Order: sequence, then C-alpha cells, then structure tokens
Amino acid sequence: MPDEPKQPWVVSVSQTLVRAAAPLVPAGQRDDWLREWHAEIWHRWQFLFHTGEWKAREQWLLLRNALGSFADGAWLLASQETVRSRISGIARSPFTCLAALALILLTIAAMSSGLQATRGMLFSQMPNKSGNLTFIWLHHYLGGGDKGLPGDVVPAWHQGSKSLSGVAGVVIRHDHVSFNGRIPSDDPLVVTASPSLFNVLGVKAERGKFPPETGIVLNHRAWVNLTNSRANIIGSEMKIGSQSYHVSAVLPGSFEFLSHQPTVYLIDRLTYLDKAFVVARVKPGVSEDKLRKELVRIAADVTYYYNLQGQMRFATWREALLTPLYSFGPATLLASLFAWLAFRGSFKQMKRAFEPENRRAAVRRLSFFIAKTGLGLACVFVGCLEWSRSESSVLLASRDPGSGPLLLWLYVLGTMGVLFWSAADQRARCRVCLRLMAFPVRIGCPGCLLLDWSGTELFCSEGHGLLHVPLMAPSWDEDADRWVSLDDSWKGLFAHDK
Amino acid sequence: MSDSAKLSHTAALILQTVDHGCSYGFDIMDETGLPSGTVYPALRRMEKEGWIASQWEAEKKALAQQRPVRKYYRVTRTGAQVLEQSQRRYPLLGKLSQKSRR
Repeated sequence: MPDEPKQPWVVSVSQTLVRAAAPLVPAGQRDDWLREWHAEIWHRWQFLFHTGEWKAREQWLLLRNALGSFADGAWLLASQETVRSRISGIARSPFTCLAALALILLTIAAMSSGLQATRGMLFSQMPNKSGNLTFIWLHHYLGGGDKGLPGDVVPAWHQGSKSLSGVAGVVIRHDHVSFNGRIPSDDPLVVTASPSLFNVLGVKAERGKFPPETGIVLNHRAWVNLTNSRANIIGSEMKIGSQSYHVSAVLPGSFEFLSHQPTVYLIDRLTYLDKAFVVARVKPGVSEDKLRKELVRIAADVTYYYNLQGQMRFATWREALLTPLYSFGPATLLASLFAWLAFRGSFKQMKRAFEPENRRAAVRRLSFFIAKTGLGLACVFVGCLEWSRSESSVLLASRDPGSGPLLLWLYVLGTMGVLFWSAADQRARCRVCLRLMAFPVRIGCPGCLLLDWSGTELFCSEGHGLLHVPLMAPSWDEDADRWVSLDDSWKGLFAHDK
Repeated sequence: MSDSAKLSHTAALILQTVDHGCSYGFDIMDETGLPSGTVYPALRRMEKEGWIASQWEAEKKALAQQRPVRKYYRVTRTGAQVLEQSQRRYPLLGKLSQKSRR
C-alpha cells in the first residue's frame, strides 16, 4: 500500500462546503448525512490519487460536486412536513399574493429599462411653438386598421392650406442601414420624411443643418449606436438598403419623436405611392371640422380620386401620446361589466357582509380585493404598454404592432383576466384570515344532483371555516357558495399547524 | 404501476445505474455524468418512495482499511418493478441497459 498522502486543500475546502450546507439538513439526519458526504469525498480523493488521476480537472469536479451538498441539504429540508406546511402557509397568505403582484410589476419595470414607454407617455415634451401639433391619418370605412395618406397630398396641403402653419409626411419602416461597412444586428427604424418635418416639429439640430432636399438626419441614439458618436459625422456617407446618402444633421439627445429607439430620418420628397402619416401644425383657433373640410377639398383638387371625406382621423400630439391611457379606461369598464355579470351574486352578498357585526372583516376583505385588483391592473397597463410601445411612443398609422386596436384588445383581455382572477381568488379565500382555502374534498355524486348536494368542500388551514362550492349552481341561487364558520370546538383539529 | 409515471428520465437512469451495481453516490455520478445536486436529491426521493434502500457498510472492514465507512444503495423489489416500467416507458433506457449487461 503506498504512503498515506497528506490531505490536499481541495479536499479540505470540499469538506468545509459540506459542513456549511449541513445546517440545512434536519438535525435527526445531520450526522449520517455528514458522514456519507465526508466518506464519499475522502474515497474520491483516495481513488484518484492512487490511480494517478488527481489532476486539476478532477479537483475542480470534486469542488463542484461538494457544492451539490447544498442542493441535497435543501431537498431534505424542503421534504420535511413542517417546512412544507409552512411554505404552503406562506404561499396561501394574502401578503404573498400582493408581494407576487408587486414583484411582477418590478420585473416589468426592470425588463423595460425602467418603464421607458410609460415615462415617455407621461413626461414627453415637444418643443413649444405656436399652434397644435396634430397627426392626420386614414381609417377606411370598411375597417382594415389605420393607414397612411397618399404622399402627394402633403405638398398640396403645404401650399393650399390656410389652417396649417406647417405640414410634413412620414413613412416608417425598418431597413438595413450600414455605416463604414458596419451593419447593426437589428435593422433600425428608418423614417422617410418631407424636408419640412423638423420645422413643423420646431426642433433644432445639435450638429449640422437639416437638408433642404435629400439627406440623412440621425437621432441622438442612432448617432451613438450606429456611428459610435463619431465627431465628424456631418457629410459622411451612410447606406440605407443599397442607396447611399450623406448625413446632414444630428438631433439633440432630449428630442424624442415617434420612437425612443435609434432612428434614421431619410429626408426626401414623398410621392403618391408613399402611404404617409401626416404631422401638421394647426393654427390656433381652427376647429377640427373646418380643418377636415379644407384638407378634403384640397386633396380632391389635387387628385379627384382621393375620397378622404369622413375617413381622415385627427389626433393632437398629446392625445396620440396619451391614447393608451384613454383606451385603458373603457377597457377596464368593459371588463368590469363582464365581471359584474359573472359575479353579481357575490356582489349582492356584500350587503350582508357589511352588516355592523361583520363590518371590520368585510373592510379588510374589501381592502385586500382593491389592493390586489389595483396591482393586477397596474401590471396589465404597464406590461401591455411597454410591450406594444417598445418601439414607438405614439399611436401611428404605421407598421407599429402596438398601434390602434391591438393595444385596446390587449387591455380588454388583460383587465378581464385580472378582474376574473381577482374575484375568483377572493371567493377561494378564508372570510376571516384571507388565506387561500386548502384540503379540497369532493362530496356527493355528480350524477345525483337532483337528489343530493354534490360539489367540493374547502377548509381554512387555520380552522376558521369551510366553504361549500357546488358542482353546478342554479342561476337563481345567489348563495351557491356557502361559507360555514367553525367555532372554537374545532380548534383542536388544527392545533398541529400552529 | 402509477409510481412509474412520477419517475423522470433522469431518475430512471439513476435507478438503473444503482441496479447495475453502482452503489455509491459518487460512482453513480461517474456513471451517469450527472452532478451531485441532481443525483443525491434523486436518491433521497427514491429511498423515501421505497424504490432503493441504503445501508452503511460493515464498520470493521472499513476500520481495518483505515478509511471512513461508506453508505451504499441497492434497488428494492418495488424499485425493480418501477425500473422495469420505466424501461418500457423510455425504450432507449432499456436498450442502454441491455448493452451494458452484455
């Protein structure tokens, strides 16, 4: 037998790791558990040493396997009945429900760079200039969503309108952009716009000058991301698709329009083939009706086949920006109506719940319901907004998937989901401690509904009462779910849980 | 047997490895290539279910060789039935078993 080797540091560290994991193991099993792990580490080292395999890789593997003792210890801890019942008690608690919703909200905030779209919607500012900045787009009689206007109406409105102090068209798309042979992994937003766009918006260039005819204007993020903030960018060549253009200007960092993503503005004349979204400055005091009549008349003069009457939509900058806020209200109302129809029986029971002797418990339940629903609705509002507006800040007749009805539908479905879940969750909680009911027991025979009661009984784990949930409830029976309070004589049965 | 439905492919592999004679935790890791954080909790669970049984080796023998005693695992009769069911459920596992027996 070879000489006994001196215990190397890797073995000592591995055994220390196992000792560190030992407190996780229930006291009764701990000694055996430690003995097993120490013996396995010792034998592994001896085996490798005597076979000449005690090398760096094996030493690293031994350390890694010693870390597995934490998983082993955690499993033994979690498999204990007392720990399991405590975990399940925590999971059923009303505070866990609220904490989980708050965590979802925080996760959405973390994943969306601190609620970028929501902040953009609420705090975005355009440069002050006289007149209202207004968006104009087309919405066909027969539906089919929002669409752009023919590009040649823009110069016609520019020349002929007395109600507008400025007008520009924009066409939005994603396209390949390359600078000095460098192509970004994601195609940036490319906005083809009339030369008058920045004049209409009232913004000044941070670098260079806006092109009078054709050229490229970069927003600040595009300048940073696509050109690595190159100082002498003005006059450089940039390719959009296969065509080259000169960079004429860079916009200031505070400027944000349409999107907070890197955006390349291609300044060019729009033709009738371009379906352009129109941005206009409406002179003060001009009504929407007057503006509509004038713009329709001019468009008809330019090309007789443009029948825009009744199909044009107008929205001010603020309205377009706040569309998500405006659409969330009706969506919540619609969802509330459906929820009320589905749970109206429970609402009728609220009268009884607020009788003087029950009032305190009822207020607690109502506060929890309001807090839970409020947090859930906040998650839906922020989540849908951040997801659908990850690219574009405003409602546009564009390729933006978050434009128009999609966001509204997301809100309707999301708020309905929250309200239905919230009401169902409330029904499944103890009327006293608000913990979720447990230990479901099927009672009766589903086939004997006419003769006997059939359904599920749920208990409060703290012994406050039990809930009868019938398998089928007649629509006229508003007290289908029956709550039965348990008196003190039952307490002994639940004593082990305390 | 309803128990086999609860047995994942990984757990079935570990059970089969024990059945093939790998009696110690670290040997099972070597054989299956699975980390200790997977193997040990699986062994604990299978022991709790009664599919394997553990036993400390004879202390006399270990003392004579001046080494700590090891705990070894063996498949129980119920465990053997569960393994058979699992081999039918995971045909590749069954083939692996035939190969290693040859």
